[in-house]
Amino acid sequence: MRVRVDRAKCVGHGRCYVLAPDVFEDDERGHCVVMSERIGPELHEQARRGEQNCPEGAIQLSD
Amino acid sequence: MAPVIDESGRINLFSEDFARCPQPGYAELRSRCPVGRMIFSGDPVISRYEDVLWALRHPEIFSSEMESQMQLGTERPMIPQQIDPPAQTRYRKLLDPHFSRRKMEELAPAVARKARELIDGFIERGECEFDSAFAIPLPCSAFLSLLGLPLSDLSFFLELKDDIIRPHKGRPGMPPDQLPPVRKAAGTRNYEYFRRALDEREAHPRDDMLTALSRAEIDGERLSRNEILDICFLLLLAGLDTVTSTLGCNMTYLASNPDQRRRLIEDPKLIPGAVEELLRWETPVVAVPRVIKRNVTLSGVELKEGQLATLLLGAANTDDEHFDDAQRVDFERERNIHAAFGAGPHRCLGSHLARMELRVAMEVWHERIPDYRIKPGEIPRFSPGIREALYLPLVWER
Repeated sequence: MRVRVDRAKCVGHGRCYVLAPDVFEDDERGHCVVMSERIGPELHEQARRGEQNCPEGAIQLSD
Repeated sequence: MAPVIDESGRINLFSEDFARCPQPGYAELRSRCPVGRMIFSGDPVISRYEDVLWALRHPEIFSSEMESQMQLGTERPMIPQQIDPPAQTRYRKLLDPHFSRRKMEELAPAVARKARELIDGFIERGECEFDSAFAIPLPCSAFLSLLGLPLSDLSFFLELKDDIIRPHKGRPGMPPDQLPPVRKAAGTRNYEYFRRALDEREAHPRDDMLTALSRAEIDGERLSRNEILDICFLLLLAGLDTVTSTLGCNMTYLASNPDQRRRLIEDPKLIPGAVEELLRWETPVVAVPRVIKRNVTLSGVELKEGQLATLLLGAANTDDEHFDDAQRVDFERERNIHAAFGAGPHRCLGSHLARMELRVAMEVWHERIPDYRIKPGEIPRFSPGIREALYLPLVWER
């Protein structure tokens, strides 16, 4: 799975790196950084949780 | 119960009934008039999630630059809340790192200590008035230590923020036209206090946020004294009131819903999810204001340049169109994209501080006092506007 974040949309709610700490991390301002663009199946559920809970719709997952 | 829509079709959000239990009123607004008109002013009130979020993400149309500074006792706009991008973005880049989740989590042990100390003070009595005994002192002391101000100034700050946010509190029957001077005088005291505190930091720097602000630079230029004062004014208003209100809303809910409370006690890992869900359901900051910069149509209603729009965060957060089973409180909700902290560029600067404080407070309280209820025969009192539980008598077995 491929994980991307639209940094222009992210405003630092921080839901992704709290709910999916193995997929996302925070930068100095508390905005989202994708730890690794390609993730294995063991992280798919976490990634979906992060994506679903972004109030700005800034996260995209694709195959 | 006072109706939220009166006989002339105008919206009244200022009754105590609405403040105590706003969710039925929100449902009525969303279905009958998603863009309605406020009592007295006739200005637009926006209640659907989609419209509220769209407005929050379009500051060029829904501006935060109010011309009503005087109403809150300020002399200039508060920074960054009452400034629009791009200027606002520069301030947020400077301030966000001071309020990041990582930084706020470092304060968790001190907040837990303070919570235990407060509970130690009243647990043997088997009752407390929650607002004054816990909800007010906990976030206020966290805020003072974050800024680097002495705890002995707590009562000074509490009086100050009440004079600004709720000048009618403690002044029953004061005519509305006398409230602005009360706010103005409090604003002046606030500026004077921070002027002195900043002078002192410049002479004797410390490891605290005020010192950091006094040295902060944007694009190589120091912040002016007024810019720092305008930041401090906002921190005071935002930091002292909102978490207090949220704690009161949460405890009123949990005291009245013992089954839900029981789940938290049996499985404290549910607490972070409960914090999110109660932020959604209760939305203590019911609404945020925006000034309309150019004509725009939302849900088929034309909004006109110059109007003051009320974005009803609480109505957005309980919108069935946007949340599965929106009227049910579910601590394990899979998808919870509530806007209790707003959204878009003005997302609450203190959201990570608030979340940490709420989580720690809920954990410590339920460890020590798992079973409690509203004192029989008493009804909690709620303040319109930001929903503070001004009077919340709780009892438990000693």
